[in-house]
Amino acid sequence: MPELKLPDIDYAALLPMLILFGAACVGVLIEGFVPRSVRNMVQLVLSLAAMVAALVFVIRRAGEVTAENAATIGGAIMIDNMGLFMEGALLVLGLVSLLLFGERTLERGGAFVPHAAVTVGSERDREQAVDSGATEVYPLALFSLGGMLMFVTANDLLTMFVALEVFSLPLYLMCALARRKRLLSQESALKYFLLGAYASAFFLFGVAMIYGFAKGVDFRAIHEAVRGSETSPTLLLIGLALVAIGLLFKIAAAPFHVWTPDVYQGAPTPVTAFMAACTKAAAFGALLRVLYVGFDGAKWHFTPVLGAVAVLTMLVGAVLAVTQTDLKRLLAYSSVANAGYLMVGLLGGNKDGLSSTLFYLVAYGFTVIAAFALVSLVRDADGEATHLSRWAGLGRRSPLFAGIFTFLLLAFAGIPLTSGFMAKFGVFGAAIAGDQTWLVIFGVLTSIVLAFPYLRVVVMMWLSEPGETTPSVSIPGVLTSAVLGIGTVATLLLGVLPGPLLELADQASSFIR
Amino acid sequence: MSLSAYIPIVGLFALAAAFGLFSVAIAPFVGPRRFNRAKLDAYECGIEPTPQPIGGGRFPVKFYLTAMLFIIFDIEIIFLYPWAVSFDMLGLFGFVEMVLFIVAVFVAYTYVWRRGGLDWD
Amino acid sequence: MVDLLLWTLALPLVGAVIALVVPDAPGRIVSVVASVLTLVAVVPLGFDRPAGMWHELDIPWVPAFHLRLHLGVDGISYPLVVLTALLTVLCCAYSVWHTPAPGRGNVLGALLLVIEAGILGTFLAQDLVLFFIAFEVVLLPMAAVIAVWGGEGRRRAALKFALYTLAGSVLLLVGVVVVVVQADTADMVKLTESPTLPATTQLWVFALFALAFAIKSPLWPLHTWLPDAHTEAPTVGSVILAGVLLKMGTYGLIRVGIGVTPEGFAKAAPVLGVLAVAAIVVGSLVCLVQTELKRLIAYSSVGHMGFVLLGIATGSAVGLQAALIGNIAHGVLTGLLFFVAGAIKDRAHTGQLAELGGLRERAPWLAGILGVAALGSLGLPGLAGFWGEAFAVVAAYQRGGLLWTVLAIVAAVGAALTAAYLLRMLRRVSHGPVAPALAAAGEVRWPEAVAWAPLILLAFVLGVVPVLVVDLAAGAALISGALGR
Repeated sequence: MPELKLPDIDYAALLPMLILFGAACVGVLIEGFVPRSVRNMVQLVLSLAAMVAALVFVIRRAGEVTAENAATIGGAIMIDNMGLFMEGALLVLGLVSLLLFGERTLERGGAFVPHAAVTVGSERDREQAVDSGATEVYPLALFSLGGMLMFVTANDLLTMFVALEVFSLPLYLMCALARRKRLLSQESALKYFLLGAYASAFFLFGVAMIYGFAKGVDFRAIHEAVRGSETSPTLLLIGLALVAIGLLFKIAAAPFHVWTPDVYQGAPTPVTAFMAACTKAAAFGALLRVLYVGFDGAKWHFTPVLGAVAVLTMLVGAVLAVTQTDLKRLLAYSSVANAGYLMVGLLGGNKDGLSSTLFYLVAYGFTVIAAFALVSLVRDADGEATHLSRWAGLGRRSPLFAGIFTFLLLAFAGIPLTSGFMAKFGVFGAAIAGDQTWLVIFGVLTSIVLAFPYLRVVVMMWLSEPGETTPSVSIPGVLTSAVLGIGTVATLLLGVLPGPLLELADQASSFIR
Repeated sequence: MSLSAYIPIVGLFALAAAFGLFSVAIAPFVGPRRFNRAKLDAYECGIEPTPQPIGGGRFPVKFYLTAMLFIIFDIEIIFLYPWAVSFDMLGLFGFVEMVLFIVAVFVAYTYVWRRGGLDWD
Repeated sequence: MVDLLLWTLALPLVGAVIALVVPDAPGRIVSVVASVLTLVAVVPLGFDRPAGMWHELDIPWVPAFHLRLHLGVDGISYPLVVLTALLTVLCCAYSVWHTPAPGRGNVLGALLLVIEAGILGTFLAQDLVLFFIAFEVVLLPMAAVIAVWGGEGRRRAALKFALYTLAGSVLLLVGVVVVVVQADTADMVKLTESPTLPATTQLWVFALFALAFAIKSPLWPLHTWLPDAHTEAPTVGSVILAGVLLKMGTYGLIRVGIGVTPEGFAKAAPVLGVLAVAAIVVGSLVCLVQTELKRLIAYSSVGHMGFVLLGIATGSAVGLQAALIGNIAHGVLTGLLFFVAGAIKDRAHTGQLAELGGLRERAPWLAGILGVAALGSLGLPGLAGFWGEAFAVVAAYQRGGLLWTVLAIVAAVGAALTAAYLLRMLRRVSHGPVAPALAAAGEVRWPEAVAWAPLILLAFVLGVVPVLVVDLAAGAALISGALGR
């Protein structure tokens, strides 16, 4: 029998992913063998160490990328500058949100419940409500992050699909683990799972269509087929539309955003922070690669349609945010609107579009993690008090935290001297340079609409009298304080001195085909 | 190619159909007549269709758990088949890779074992 | 001298931070000290006057966005900068003596200083992106001042103010981004000297700028945030709002609108002129039926800014200089009017004209100052307001053509109407029998006198020697040069 020709595998380039997967497996073993009392600490330390190690290797690789050594595993993974930047961003944001996972001082046993599938209201559920929480979330989060790293560096659509599933399935499970409001949590997990499964199915069907058009699923083959094809583009457009649906679901673009408010509200707040920052970043990284590397020849076809999707997203996010009465749902709709702004940058179609989107993803990630960290601090006897009316008068009770939250909301609104302004300025400039001025017009109009709910929360916090039902802001533990500090400082720094990150994003905005 | 190669298949089809029809047709004439209420009930995989139990008739979830665990390890075995067949062609690289695969699934097995997923009750 | 520009921005900001962290009473003193130091830093900027930009400072900040810390002062911005610093000193001093409920005068002082830093940044910015940032920074502290220390309907007024101005800001953002991307630079000096944008782009970019600045100025019909904001704001808030914030709009129209997109301006000028005159007439007519003192003064601002905008719209050197003098005069006089109105409201606990009367019998000095402010505001020759109103009309008439002549005549009629409503207000408040509300009204107290004295002095001085501001406005010639008029 002939010897098989093996693909060359660049282990050094793949180390970040391998470290995360390996640490996750070790984490699962720890679940089995380490006694419960120390399990949380051990898992937390292991996960943080793994992420730091992976980040170190990403940074080491950063200077060594060339066109020849970027592709690996037979062209299935492409570790180019863009991929490295996204990996680094995902690892940093994942590190910050993982600190939230470990917080156990706000609630006895932590934010997670030991068993997700116990019937709500039963005897067993009451027992587990006071037990120490599930520590499986750490290996699950590591698997998810590893999958995200693979997602943004995938060089063909099948690898991308595998990575999509790898990073989504742990997230579905983690959503069901909230300690309070169990029914809502289980409902959100089920919704996310079902809708996510449909979206993945659409994605796979699209891959099949594209294979039919391009006779291959890797981006180089697709790119050449799109460029040089004389056959009718029907199959291509159908395939592209279906693949886009799968990806637009993950970035929470309208009309595929319907899962976002329910899932963000029902999931445990650390998981929401993780999803809002990292899932969005990973999905956008993949969308950028698909559109810029694989399908850039079809730009004239997809730009108007995706532009319409972006406009719809911004409108839906902004208008529906105005009507929200629950803070987590408000932040969810704001997340939808921000996906719209990110798409505006993406559709600029040039290098500026890429780098501005990358900057926006990082800036937004820090701000949203800090915002959710603060939401987890406002509690009463029943858990988090997320209804807007409960936040009235918080400025009198805890001026520091109200001040921080005001600053974060201003960053979301895009007020100057915050990272949100620099990010918006970047994406709007890129869109105008790419002849998509109509997107910018809608972008600014929806900004005005979106400013209203933020200002309303700010006014409510500072100018209303606190009632008897106004909860107090819990004193945060070390981990939550660290997250709040990092997020707020990053928002301020990127608003006043965005230069270094902008340059980094600019250097990173190059794909290798 | 000649269609005559298909004649044994047609023959087998005819035999199978005949056997089935014969068995069903002859049962009322040859079998004893012993009335048993349970035999006249509609069959629903062991569940009583009516009356509907309160709460919707819950299954113990351990049935699903066993089935899903079976599927996972069955798929692992399925992946082992083609590797086993072309083992010599894949060389050392294939061996190490398959060991890693088995180790990964073994980690999951350890977790299930330690967490009590393999206990029936 | 160059570092002075950085000091003018750094001093208010540092003062604001310190005033926030120290307790109430010392915080108010800190804010006064900071504002005085800022005034001291600002005045020397006008000592040295070469051609072009008098002082410049250019530090790169975010090269990727063409954002540079590019500050500069010349004849157009210097009077406004001095006015800002002066009014902030007076307001901080006033709030040392009297801060309305709920107190916390140090926070009020800090917010006033942040607003000052933002306004100074707007007037000094020579980089479009920096201009926008400073423009937007002013918004939220001003809304906070109205929302916390204001009157009955303060929350609604503050929210309206914030959203309206935010809407204008985002339109400005689009215009700025378009210019920066197309011209590949944000340097306002360069853009003014050699405008490179094509004519159609200039037209609709100017439309965006005009909308944004029209909301700020405010220009009828985008003025509806103004009456509520002014009426509900505390005294110092109204003074800053009317005295300086409105000037950001007209200044922006001149510096950015005319400077960066002159061809767009040239095409849109007639529309601006018509709207300006409409503002004068509508403002005056509405004022004639007003029943509340502060609201009347608020609507009078609409009318006065109409004159300023008419002067700008003519696009001639005379018109622009009239606009610039009118800006300063309005700032001084309306600032004074709001101070006095606030004092009257504090004494009478009402602002309804029907409930006021006979002030000159109880507090003749107070009535006298009110009279001076009102007469200056209506454009009596000898006081500051005359030059702005008269020469705006003259410039419109000099422009020639049917439209502009008609506009000039209507504006003159509007000036008469201005006189009508201001005299009506004066008669109601200071003449006639003493109203019960004013029965216990006290005379002008010395802290008030100290706060108002500079403004009264300026009202007289600028009326007699407008050359001070006119000469400085030689920079207006720079811009008219760009228009080739």
